[in-house]
Formats: sequence, C-alpha cells, structure tokens
Amino acid sequence: MKPSSLDIDRLRDVIRQLPNDALMPSREAALAHLDEHGLPTLRDEDWKYTDLSPLVDISNRWLLAGGQPRPASNRHGAVERVLGSIDATWFVIADGTIEQWPAGNLESGAIEVSRLSDTPAPFVMTRPLGDLNAALRHDGLRIRITGQPEKPVGILLADRAGGNAGVTQSYVEIEVAPGTSAELIEYHLSDGDEDHYANSVLTIGIGDGANANHVRIQNRSIRHVQTGRTSLALGRNATLRMASYDLGGGLIRNDIDIDLSQPGADVCFDGLYLAGEGQHIDNHTRVDHRVGPSTSSQEYRGILNGKCRCVWNGKAIVHKGADGTDAQQANHNLLLSEKAEIDAKPELEIYAEDVKCSHGTTVGQLDESALFYLRSRGLDKNHAIRVLTHAFAADLVRRAPVSAVTEAITDIVEARLAELAAADFIADILS
Amino acid sequence: MLEIKDLKSRIGDSEILRGLSLSVKKGEVHAIMGPNGSGKSTLALVVAGHEDYEVTGGTVRYNGQDLLEMAPEERAREGIFLGFQYPVEIPGVNNAYLLKAAVNAKRKHQGLDEVDAFEFLKLARERMTVLGMDPKFLNRGVNEGFSGGEKKRNEVLQMAMLEPSLAILDETDSGLDIDALKAVAEGVNALRSPERAIILVTHYQRLLDYIEPDYVHVLSEGKIVRSGDKMLALELEERGYDWLREAATG
Repeated sequence: MKPSSLDIDRLRDVIRQLPNDALMPSREAALAHLDEHGLPTLRDEDWKYTDLSPLVDISNRWLLAGGQPRPASNRHGAVERVLGSIDATWFVIADGTIEQWPAGNLESGAIEVSRLSDTPAPFVMTRPLGDLNAALRHDGLRIRITGQPEKPVGILLADRAGGNAGVTQSYVEIEVAPGTSAELIEYHLSDGDEDHYANSVLTIGIGDGANANHVRIQNRSIRHVQTGRTSLALGRNATLRMASYDLGGGLIRNDIDIDLSQPGADVCFDGLYLAGEGQHIDNHTRVDHRVGPSTSSQEYRGILNGKCRCVWNGKAIVHKGADGTDAQQANHNLLLSEKAEIDAKPELEIYAEDVKCSHGTTVGQLDESALFYLRSRGLDKNHAIRVLTHAFAADLVRRAPVSAVTEAITDIVEARLAELAAADFIADILS
Repeated sequence: MLEIKDLKSRIGDSEILRGLSLSVKKGEVHAIMGPNGSGKSTLALVVAGHEDYEVTGGTVRYNGQDLLEMAPEERAREGIFLGFQYPVEIPGVNNAYLLKAAVNAKRKHQGLDEVDAFEFLKLARERMTVLGMDPKFLNRGVNEGFSGGEKKRNEVLQMAMLEPSLAILDETDSGLDIDALKAVAEGVNALRSPERAIILVTHYQRLLDYIEPDYVHVLSEGKIVRSGDKMLALELEERGYDWLREAATG
C-alpha cells in the first residue's frame, strides 16, 4: 500500500461491520469502484490544485482506530447556536447520523421525509468521492417539498470532532415539486479541534416552474477537511437563486454542479470565501446548459490573508443545440498578503449558436487611496482595512437569497473579517 | 497653530517642495495659489500625512506638536481636515457610516461618548440641506457614482460634521458650477471662527470672491514666492503667474 492511498482492506472491514441493511449492496458496489479507481489525484485536471493527502491521512488514522462513529454525546453548543439563531425547519445530521428529524406535522403536509434505506437505489458512480460517500454512509435523508413551507428547510451537517480523528459521510436528496417554492439552507458546521474529514453529497431537484432559493454555509474549524458536492437539476422554467459562503475550514473542496436540461431555466449563484493562514478553499462550479434558452450567472468573491490558497474554477458548458444560452461568470479576489495565492480559472466551452457568454476575473490588493482617505477621516489603519474588506464582501452578504440567514452570515463574516484584518500578515503589503 | 519651516518633500525621485515656510494662526484664512505642478496639492497631502510623500527636510508643528511624527488618523483626530481634490469612491461603504465613524473616532480621542445616532442623523440632514444635498446621499456608497460637484459637496459635509480646527481644502472649487460654488463657499464660511483656521488651495481667484482670505500666498516650484492680502489674488487673476516666476528666478 502506498502511504498516499486509502487503506482499502481496513475500509472493507469497517464497512462489513455496518448493519446488514438495505444499503449494503450499494456500499459493496461503491467499495469495489473505489478499490479499482482510487481517489482523485493532482494528475486529474479537476483536482490539480488540491492535494487530498490530508483526507487520506485522517481517514487511515480513523480506520486504524476501528472506524467507528463517535458515540452520541450531549448536543454541542455550536449546533444549538445555529438552531437558535436561524429560524428554519431543521434536520440535523451529526457525525454522519440523522439526529434531528422534525416530528409531527411538517408544516401541514408541505414537506415529506423518508430515509434513503426505505427505498434504496443501486450505486451509480457519478462524480469523484461519490464512491467513498456511498461505501461508508450509514443512511441518507430524502426530503420532498410539495407545498409552500413558510419557513426555510435547513440541513445542518455538524461534526463534533472530539477524541480521535473522525470521518463522516452524509447524503441528502431534496426535491422541490413542480410549481412550488422553497427556501433551503445547507449548513456545514464543526466544533472542536480534532482532525476530521467530512464528505457530503447533496442533490437538489427543482421541478418544472418551481423556485428554489438555496444558501450554503461552510463554517468549519481549521482542523477539518471537507469535500462537498451539491448537485442541482432544474426543470422547465424553474429558477434557482443560490449563494455559498465559505467562512472557515482547513482544507475545503466544494463542487457545485448545475444541470439545465429543460428550456427556460434561470440560475443565479454567488459565492464568498474568506481564507486566512493555513487554509485551502477550492470552489469548482460547473453549469451544463443542455438546451436553450436558459440563463446562468455566477459571481464569486474571495478575501485572502496570510499563507493560504484558494481556487475558483468556473466551468460553463453550452452543449450542442443549447441555442439562446446566456452564461455569465465573474470572480474577484482581494489579496491582503503576498503569501496568499489564488488560482482563478474560468472555463467556457461552447458548442451552440446564438449564445451570450462572458467571464471576468480580477485579483487585486486594497486600494491605497481609499485607505488613506479613510485614515484622513480619523479611522485607524485596522479599522480602515476592516471597512474596505467588509465593503468588498458586503454585496454578497446582502444578496443572500434566504433572508432568515442574512443576520447569522453577517455576524460570522464580520467576526471573520475582523480576525483577518487584524492579522499581522497584512503588514507585508501595507508598511 | 500650524508652523511649517523650510519643508522639503519628494515623491519617488522628484523633489516637489523645496524649502516651504508658512505660518497659520487661529482664526485666519489663507489662500495658496500657484500654477499647476507648483506643489499646492503636495503641501496639502503632506500636512494630512500621505505616506507616498517623503519629507526630506524641515519641520511642521501643529499646536506645538511635531506633526510629521503623527499618523494620518491621529492628525485627523487632532482636528486637521483635508478636503480632497479628487475624493475617492468607496463602493459598499455607506456614507452615513463613514461620517459617524469619523466623528466617533475624534470624540473617542477627546474622551467623549459616541454620538447619539438619532441626533447625528438629524444634524447631518440639516447640514446637507444647507449644502443643497439630497439626504438620500447618506445611504449611498461613499462618493459612489457622485458627480464632480456632489463629491465636493460631500467633502464639505464631512468637514461640517467633523468641525476641524484646521481645514485644508484642495481645489474644492474645481469643476463646480456657480450654484455649487456658492453652496460650498457658504458651508466653508459657516465654519469660520476665531478658533479655527482654513487653508484654501486654489488655482483660480473665483473662489476667493465668496470666501475672503486674510492672506494669499503664491507657490512656485515648491516654495512660497510671494505673500500678500486678497489684492494679490486679483493681481494674479489679471497678470497670470509668469511674472512671478520671472521675478523669482530673475
């Protein structure tokens, strides 16, 4: 076994110790796939900026220690704070186990819920790390929104990280039925400072004429590795307003896949990432325009300070016949330190006619003249830096498409920016 | 209040101020005139503390303190205000936020409590009315999408709220139509007091019809080459700057 690869033998043992339930066949199939293909490496074009060896290391340590889920413990303060600060119908998946399932009437039949194990499907490999997720998942959640829920539906994926290194796999499917509207929250949270690897797969189907507003928040600790895939498919004349906020984390890789295979779909999605010393945040987005007309626009912004690295790779594929597609991409980065690195890569592939596509990428530092202007009004240097970085992020916070989370995001962003702007690294460009 | 002695300053390799001396006392209004490139804006920026300008000689004392040792924000809190020739646009930073943060930074420095938000907004709206500014500008980004005249009015609004001891207005008149010029002049005149000094940096005499200076200085090649009263400004208007330059070198 190469030191850089996953310990498949131990993984097999751990899987065999899981309950012999309806998901076992798909676990075995996923394991066979993983055994044959392995994990993505730096040689894969889509993974060339993100070295997955930290997650291999954590996973192997966890497997060596027996690969058991953490024992259920008292609910952590961090989870309670999220539930208390954002008014939503919350499902909580803690350490990979479905822990909170809103009981009783789910808003008068507007929401239907079931477990993946109730109606298991055979394993089909779609994207990298999906096999690892399917091989180790205990269960999954299926949520169908059939009415017009008054509150947002929130999925809190929380990992407590106490004791040894841990690994969790989460799986959630959400369906927004045709003609309905829903607000969704996907919140990735960790607490504690032990090494942890969390891998999630979330699929969201938005039916014909339905509207979904989706906010994705990642607020993990620096010791946590996360790979998360959110796949969205839109029906005819469906709309999606989405925003992703990466506000913490150690090694983070997000894949957002949006599939537009019906005419009239309209997607607008934004992202904000804040990275400090030692963080690595990789956002890969992909939009498939399979038929026209359809529109997609995305704007990602990043603020980086200290020795850290971020990746933005925005891919838009306009397939043959998807005439009348409008695809726009923008990515803007503010680098507060010379040690910060951003790899920004727009990718447009166009095989159709009558298409409107554009992309723009900027990488810059704080505007020195704005900084002097604020200082000349009496704001000290740190305050001025905070004001300017905050202004850069503020647009995207304001645009959060689920209003119930705006305040919580604002608070985290402000606290995080205060940490970033107060860091010493900033001295190397501003002295 | 402000004592500048033999000040020398450069940006990069170019010498701009070459031994400038100027004394400004409480209650006085000074006009600094001179051709383009004579160092007027540099003087304003050096007094405000711009770090791109290196001071290579001379001293600047402000109320007995060594001004050159102070950070730009300390100078502001001690009562120095620079009205910029080209105010910076800062999208995303609310105008009202900046006004309040600036006033509170100064108050904190003076050991006072923060301003009452309600009273503050009321006062800001009153001052905006005097300046002919729509109160809606309070909720816009700082100078974001403002016209030239709106930016200059916004500078005067900030000055009016901060009530500085020493105000330096750098070409505040440039690019203004006559109504805006009058409004700006009114704002400045309202601030004139025996406790306060004002330095007007201007290229043209026009502003001085509305704000009457006690002293007029002509800057050329980084030095004051002539000082006088307001009559000097009228003379400059008539004869241009060339005769002074000749007089200085000849």
